[in-house]
Amino acid sequence: MKTRFSWFNLTSITFGFAFLYIPILLLVIYSFNESKLVTVWGGFSTKWYGSLLQNQALMDAAWVTIRVAVVSATIATALGTLAAITLVRMGRFPGRTLFSGMIFAPLVMPDVIIGLSLLLMFVAIGFDRGFWTITLAHITFTMCYAAVVVQARLQDFDKSVEEAAMDLGATPVNTFFQITLPIIAPSVISAWLLAFTLSLDDLVLASFATGPGATTLPMKIYSQVRLGVTPEINAISTILIGIVTVGVLTAAYITKRQTDKAERERRRAFGATG
Amino acid sequence: MTVATASQSTPTLTPRAGPRTAAPQSGFAPWNDPKKPPIVRFEGITKRFDDFVAVKNITLDIYEREFFALLGPSGCGKSTLLRMLGGFEKPTEGKIIVAGQDITDMPPYDRPVNMMFQSYALFPHMTVEGNIGFGLRQEGMPKDKIAERVDEAMGMLELRQFAKRKPNQLSGGQQQRVALARAIAKKPRIVLLDEPLGALDKKLRQQAQFELMRIQETTGTTFIIVTHDQEEAMTVASRIAVMDKGDLVQVATPGDIYENPKTRYISGFIGDVNLFEGKVSAVADGCVEIESTEGSKLKTRSAEPVSVGQQVWLALRPEKIRISHDQPSSTVNAIPGKVEDIGYLGSISHYHVRTAGGQRITALRANAAHAVERSISWEDSVWLDWPVDAGVVLTR
Repeated sequence: MKTRFSWFNLTSITFGFAFLYIPILLLVIYSFNESKLVTVWGGFSTKWYGSLLQNQALMDAAWVTIRVAVVSATIATALGTLAAITLVRMGRFPGRTLFSGMIFAPLVMPDVIIGLSLLLMFVAIGFDRGFWTITLAHITFTMCYAAVVVQARLQDFDKSVEEAAMDLGATPVNTFFQITLPIIAPSVISAWLLAFTLSLDDLVLASFATGPGATTLPMKIYSQVRLGVTPEINAISTILIGIVTVGVLTAAYITKRQTDKAERERRRAFGATG
Repeated sequence: MTVATASQSTPTLTPRAGPRTAAPQSGFAPWNDPKKPPIVRFEGITKRFDDFVAVKNITLDIYEREFFALLGPSGCGKSTLLRMLGGFEKPTEGKIIVAGQDITDMPPYDRPVNMMFQSYALFPHMTVEGNIGFGLRQEGMPKDKIAERVDEAMGMLELRQFAKRKPNQLSGGQQQRVALARAIAKKPRIVLLDEPLGALDKKLRQQAQFELMRIQETTGTTFIIVTHDQEEAMTVASRIAVMDKGDLVQVATPGDIYENPKTRYISGFIGDVNLFEGKVSAVADGCVEIESTEGSKLKTRSAEPVSVGQQVWLALRPEKIRISHDQPSSTVNAIPGKVEDIGYLGSISHYHVRTAGGQRITALRANAAHAVERSISWEDSVWLDWPVDAGVVLTR
């Protein structure tokens, strides 16, 4: 069925998207600018992408960012999955509400406050700030996103499937790795992608938690912009946008396919009861 | 006025009297042999969820090769009892003993029982083969041996053609067979079935019941089934335990449960029944005379010890009552009445008769003779009568 847009809808969509995406589009377009002056169009060129590879400081920052993102996303997903399982599977236990509240609090807590409190803690315990402190900070705030994503999937997971596995002789550990994890794998992957992209573009927490020698890409870009925007910054930002877009879209696609599949199975089950 | 007919079953229910054909073998009655050790023993099992008591102090023996049914309405504790045997719930009090071994604290993965779940609980990411072989792989059995056993189970349930399919590519009936195949693949001593046929339509369910009986007989395994469908329990089981609100009300063969129900609850739960409320007016040589509240004297044989003046109920199955136009020669258990309703069901007819005392009684008559007898019609005055051994005296 085709939906006809009314003039009102069409106008609001145009303005909405323009508001959101014209700045990003400009950045992408200017990253292909021949001219060194950021605001003057001098013809199409990809030379800034080439010169990017020569910019050691920028490349170092990119490498740090990716390492932080991979490590923190992996650990955050593992912890988030465990938290989600506890919340969904353990039923009621003393302090359950407190536990779930504490897991989800960082979702609404201002980044500045998390960053500041982490900084205070690192200083207090004398933790050398650098790569690991940034990673730890990112684990803290991406873990709750991972927990939310995995929890949503676990909630419509038939518990008797796990019981069946144990009934057939699988220990709880085997049940988790052979049954639970394969079934919830799509949501674990999308949780990882979400955590990865969140870590990739975080500036606030990284700025608080960083130390000498560990500069992430968003921090590098931010500090460079204060000295003036260069086309190189546009180029690296475009790449960053590309990675984030791919990550978010993949996560959304996996989640969508999974809910569609669950819906189909549910319809099938009802069809079978006839 | 008392409600005479407690009907919870379909009118076509015709239980078999005498020796049951469904029993694994004729004369199979290990529960009558005091020397025979049970394979499962529930010893004073109580299960509480917070302040709700799901199962109340149940003691029950189940024997090898039995097809045992736990029957009752939803919420009566039958599933909880089964899940405690499977190891998914811990009894609050009591012990569960399987083959002489106390398994009360044993985790599910160590127990010699396998369960078929109501939702089937098939592993969605594995093929039919993978599902059936899962339990064997946990044992670390060699691959070729697993393939052999899986193939055997698939053959038994006609699943070979679906071996490579995933559960979501199967129909409900096929999924049900996979779930059963998976539960028997490990050749456990006891197979637990939790409402195994609840999701199937009526026709498929009847087929599946006979399939369950066939599998149970060929494998010689003890089957324990939980069901709320009394017809299903009557069809498949060698013995039935009727449960109500966490209590075990009666444990007996289907024939016994139907012919000699212990309480009014059971008499109404399985099949149709007419209940006469009354007081015992005389007891003599195995016979009890009851003066019913609707005003007639009823005489019946009773195994239950009763005393004069005691409040009792006489339970009488509709098919045990003779209905005719002519006054019967004997005056014992003969009541006149008026036909109020007739339910014609082809092979049999139901007659709802109002007695002079105002009680409504249901009688069944097979439509055997073709227009030989004068047919009974609405508003006809009729006589109802039955022999002294037709009814059962109930005290609860």
